[in-house]
Amino acid sequence: MNTSSSFKALASPPLISTSRPTTKSFPNPRFTSRFSPKPITCMRDSLNLGSNPKAPSPFSLATVSVDAPLGTKTSDKLRILVSEFRSLTEPIDRVKRLLNYAATLAPLDESARISENRVTGCTTQVWLEIKMDEFGRMRFKADSDSEISKGFCSCLIWILDGAKPEEVMGVRSEDLSEMNVGVHGKEQSRVNTWHNVLMSMQKRTMTLVATDVAHQRGQRPPHQHDLLFKYVNGSYMESSKVHDYSISLLPLYYDFII
Amino acid sequence: AAAASSATISTDSESVSLGHRVRKDFRILHQEVNGSKLVYLDSAATSQKPAAVLDALQNYYEFYNSNVHRGIHYLSAKATDEFELARKKVARFINASDSREIVFTRNATEAINLVAYSWGLSNLKPGDEVILTVAEHHSCIVPWQIVSQKTGAVLKFVTLNEDEVPDINKLRELISPKTKLVAVHHVSNVLASSLPIEEIVVWAHDVGAKVLVDACQSVPHMVVDVQKLNADFLVASSHKMCGPTGIGFLYGKSDLLHSMPPFLGGGEMISDVFLDHSTYAEPPSRFEAGTPAIGEAIALGAAVDYLSGIGMPKIHEYEVEIGKYLYEKLSSLPDVRIYGPRPSESVHRGALCSFNVEGLHPTDLATFLDQQHGVAIRSGHHCAQPLHRYLGVNASARASLYFYNTKDDVDAFIVALADTVSFFNSFK
Repeated sequence: MNTSSSFKALASPPLISTSRPTTKSFPNPRFTSRFSPKPITCMRDSLNLGSNPKAPSPFSLATVSVDAPLGTKTSDKLRILVSEFRSLTEPIDRVKRLLNYAATLAPLDESARISENRVTGCTTQVWLEIKMDEFGRMRFKADSDSEISKGFCSCLIWILDGAKPEEVMGVRSEDLSEMNVGVHGKEQSRVNTWHNVLMSMQKRTMTLVATDVAHQRGQRPPHQHDLLFKYVNGSYMESSKVHDYSISLLPLYYDFII
Repeated sequence: AAAASSATISTDSESVSLGHRVRKDFRILHQEVNGSKLVYLDSAATSQKPAAVLDALQNYYEFYNSNVHRGIHYLSAKATDEFELARKKVARFINASDSREIVFTRNATEAINLVAYSWGLSNLKPGDEVILTVAEHHSCIVPWQIVSQKTGAVLKFVTLNEDEVPDINKLRELISPKTKLVAVHHVSNVLASSLPIEEIVVWAHDVGAKVLVDACQSVPHMVVDVQKLNADFLVASSHKMCGPTGIGFLYGKSDLLHSMPPFLGGGEMISDVFLDHSTYAEPPSRFEAGTPAIGEAIALGAAVDYLSGIGMPKIHEYEVEIGKYLYEKLSSLPDVRIYGPRPSESVHRGALCSFNVEGLHPTDLATFLDQQHGVAIRSGHHCAQPLHRYLGVNASARASLYFYNTKDDVDAFIVALADTVSFFNSFK
């Protein structure tokens, strides 16, 4: 199992580039001759994302110079990532960018590849490990048997790792669809990894929050099926069958049962 | 007749394949996707629709849209005539002895559920056995799981033999006096293999069991004669045979349909309704509660006309040829594993190949093929998780052909796949 220290390593705030990157030519002649790719730049290239430094990448990498301040908001990260992907006009370039991010995804321990961590609904296998650190921030790790799904996970983790629970709950899957990468269309689909992984992150975040609150109150942690959230007065409130876990402050955007 | 049965037909001075000849009827195929010419190889999921089908749908809504069976005005009479004519066309297409043996459903899944809930719940008892194969589509597994939970019936699954086809000998061994139903596919949507339905029916009937055939991957591609097969139930979906979505059908022998209680209650399916009870209409109305998909049924009739106009023997022969071509080309690529039997003189595969490339996820392949090359294939478990589990994989890619595909499509796919594999291998 991963220890909390391994999650702390991921907690290092990323250094977010907002400068115009420069590019190098793609090093693989086979790739270059076949695909003649457009120069691909990557705003996250210099970021400490808990990446695997040994992971090779077929893409040209950018140099970046401007770092985002520590504690950059989740919404800002999302905006940066959306902007980055939207700047790539060719669909295949967006997929290649995703693959680039897949290579930066920190490995997941084999012990975390368990059914409890499986994200259901994907055509690929995705495992998601979630913890809450001592500061009440959410920590995510993920892996997949698909490189493209790993790319999705890498982006989501970059956005949400270290975020407060309410920030995790505040991301909407339609925000991610603005990146326009992978599956065509913006609506929910059985193959929409963005949606499925985000939903899993949010459901399990809610469970951890509820469990944490129950623990602080000396109450029995709720069974996840006992948590029901409903839309009340402009925000989503938890109408638990067992306890009030004060989760109603979390701005959810859809009904769900954990 | 000989010329008509050839996979390559002659027109005037030039020789043109069936695929090339009919492509003009499918406007959707003439487009670019992601900057590349669309190569559509996902017809096992759903087929494309010829202009004749689209026109039939348009005509219905534009000129005689009306509800069926209940109006006395002109439009309703016209719609009713066309709706029932479509039923007759479907009956003729599969050689049913009477059009009243055709029940329109939303799709094949609903047709199987109809049999499961109506026939199954009233005929299965604790200890009775239903025989399936591990290669069934989920739509031919889950309804029987539900019914078995409600009735206490037992599901028995036939595994694959060394040729990677359902073991027909094991199936025969499983059939016993306890067997009440054999529910199997005709052509597998993953393995591309076909089952000897006529023999299975004989074995099942010998012990008094019924046979349901999932013909979703056979009716669109070959001659299917329900009287020759002698199956008790057979289901198919319109959208896989050039027709619209939202309509499918159940074939059931008349005596069986008459003996079955309704599946859904509502309008259309009743004879008389009283406050405390109702009497039910005769089949097929008994099983068609509510307003049906009228335009879709009529357009399905147009699809049947279109397919019959070409000739199912010709379509089948052409698909055997391009299916074999696909298999040979695909199997020539390194590290490719194709599931199902090898084609031979005696083994005719359906025109599809489910496969994996060593070390690459099929969804990654499918995504890259789409976004870089405009090639549409399927990835996932194809609604056959137990089969994939049996094969030891979580997912596979699937390229599936129809008569509007050509060898050019196969060639483009193979080039694109080689390119895709090369791309992913370049940064391993």
